[in-house]
Amino acid sequence: MTRVLTLLLAALLALPIAAEAQKPIKVGMPMPLSGPPALFGEPATKGAQMYVDEINAKGGVLGRKIELLTRDSKADANEAVRVARELILKENVDFLVGTLTSAEGPAVSVVAKENKIVFIAPIPKTDQLTAADKLHPYVFRVAANTTMEGRSAAEIVAKWPVTRVGTIAFDYAYGQDVTRAFVEHIKKVKPSVQIVDQQWPKLGEQDYNPFINAQMAKKPEAVVSSIWGGFFVTFSKQAKALGYFDALKYNFIGLGEAGSPETTKSMGADYPTGIWGNSYDAFYWEDNPGAHKDYTARISKYLKDQYPSSWAIQGYIGMQFLVEAIKKANSTDSDKVAKALLGLTIDTPIGKQTLREKDHQANRGQLYGKTAKDAKYPFSIMKPVTYVDPTKFMD
Amino acid sequence: MPDLSFVFAQSLSGLTAAMFLFLIASGLSLIFGVLRVLNFAHGSFYMLGAYSAYQIVQWLGTGPVSFWVAAFGAAAGVALLGGIVERFLFQRLYGKEELYHLLFTYALVLVLGDVAKVLWGTQQKSLSRPPGLTGALSLFGATIPHYNLFIILLGPAIALGFWFALQRTRAGRFIRAAALDRETLGALGVNVNALYTGVFVLASFLGGLGGALITPMRAIVPGMDTEVIVEAFVVVVIGGLGSFWGTFLGALIYGQVLSFGILFFPRFSIFSIFALMAAVLIIRPWGLLGKPLK
Repeated sequence: MTRVLTLLLAALLALPIAAEAQKPIKVGMPMPLSGPPALFGEPATKGAQMYVDEINAKGGVLGRKIELLTRDSKADANEAVRVARELILKENVDFLVGTLTSAEGPAVSVVAKENKIVFIAPIPKTDQLTAADKLHPYVFRVAANTTMEGRSAAEIVAKWPVTRVGTIAFDYAYGQDVTRAFVEHIKKVKPSVQIVDQQWPKLGEQDYNPFINAQMAKKPEAVVSSIWGGFFVTFSKQAKALGYFDALKYNFIGLGEAGSPETTKSMGADYPTGIWGNSYDAFYWEDNPGAHKDYTARISKYLKDQYPSSWAIQGYIGMQFLVEAIKKANSTDSDKVAKALLGLTIDTPIGKQTLREKDHQANRGQLYGKTAKDAKYPFSIMKPVTYVDPTKFMD
Repeated sequence: MPDLSFVFAQSLSGLTAAMFLFLIASGLSLIFGVLRVLNFAHGSFYMLGAYSAYQIVQWLGTGPVSFWVAAFGAAAGVALLGGIVERFLFQRLYGKEELYHLLFTYALVLVLGDVAKVLWGTQQKSLSRPPGLTGALSLFGATIPHYNLFIILLGPAIALGFWFALQRTRAGRFIRAAALDRETLGALGVNVNALYTGVFVLASFLGGLGGALITPMRAIVPGMDTEVIVEAFVVVVIGGLGSFWGTFLGALIYGQVLSFGILFFPRFSIFSIFALMAAVLIIRPWGLLGKPLK
């Protein structure tokens, strides 16, 4: 009798523990889902969701399912902070993966620090996010940063037979930082280069004609642009009409993912084919690490798009790092997971990625290439497309 | 000293921007002048014009005239939508406090923004320049795209047509009368409600046309509605809310200040426009060509 009672008692005591183990691991994802940045925010959340679905189908991690809670951050730092707090305090999320703009990332990083919750930023590029004075144990970035992007561009432009170089960038954190990184690095790798003109339209400018005229008047031989996303479509349509790319003999490199399939696809024949661009991903990347092909097939199916978005992979890799760290830590405790993330190397669809111990920054390079027409697609692609590994010039 | 061909090119690019702004701001100004409503949703009609033009081109394919059919079809569709919105929603607002106008039109911005997102998604869309206007001509050493030239000519044509209609036609006289004294006009047997609907339809048509015609120069993206409404407001504030030629002048000034501002203050050209607007508000709060409100 006593034995039966003891067993019953033990079973009762064990119940909450078993229930606890069944509870999903909650991950909060603040991401712009409205306005122009939703262009990237939406596919990024879908990439994360696909990874979560795949992991859950295999039984989850540590025997628990993962639940992804997405919230619209409206690409606004205040709103991102508000939804991050709501996710932590009301939804009791265990981790945060998210944010897109260089304003949101650092703002949410502060919330993560206050609440001692691991925060992985998949897209914000500003150096500020992981700068020495802002770094704390819980913030990590799997995106490229402005130093890496600017220097990658400098490495490419240094090989062109040009010395008079101009820049055009939005006048805010991302544009300024990436332009500065480019200018500093090109002066080091090719001292003969002169910066002859710099244009600074305001973020979200719609009329680039005055800037384009002013830049052409200075007669640069090459231009580095960081006009990103949908803004690049507007910029290049106006520039093409003014003969800007012809005047530069297509010695133009569009950072900020101007070479992404989304952009070339939406512009079709209007794309200034012949310029250089970059992208986080490209479904047509042939010379890829093995896992990429399989990933592309899966994301293509998941998004129901034969030319899937290049932004989904950022949400995917962000979640992947988190889950691998939970496995390594064998815990969902943020302090333990944060430690597990330090120096963690994982196999992603773009190859091995490592979160450096010293600045919590992944060695995330981007795909670069000169755009060209291809008979297989009704739009231009980067051909050949090359992964520029930033490991050499991250410091 | 920059050379003359550059100055010429810069002034033309300012002129192109100005004519687009005029197209959009004139509708905003017209609605305010006659209906006394600050229509925040005017930018949404502009956005719907752009998306609709894109949609019609998708249906028609790229033929020699499909762009023009799309542009005017889109403008007509937006005008129809404007008529419905005015007839069933705005008419309940007249005579109420301005705060209600603001809240209502702002709500409309949000609703139409979401409608566009549902229909066309978040990915950017783009249309090519229409066949026949894809080239450019060289004048005094400056490159002028044909399409820009077309816009530069279209602006004054619309302005003159408008002015003629307002001054010389019966409907125009009613519109001017409605702007001055709605009650008296109604007492004289004119159907003021129908007149208001007509004005709103016309203004929405201009907004929709502006959106459709800008597609060869800009990406079609969510958020283009609120971007343009700010610029249009600056234009009408400088020129004078409700003043027709004031809007034209405001647009011209806006375009040129933006074009030449970047030569003198490369990083603060947008600041020069807001500084100008602030100066106008301090010296002539009713705008350069506007009339003080009673």
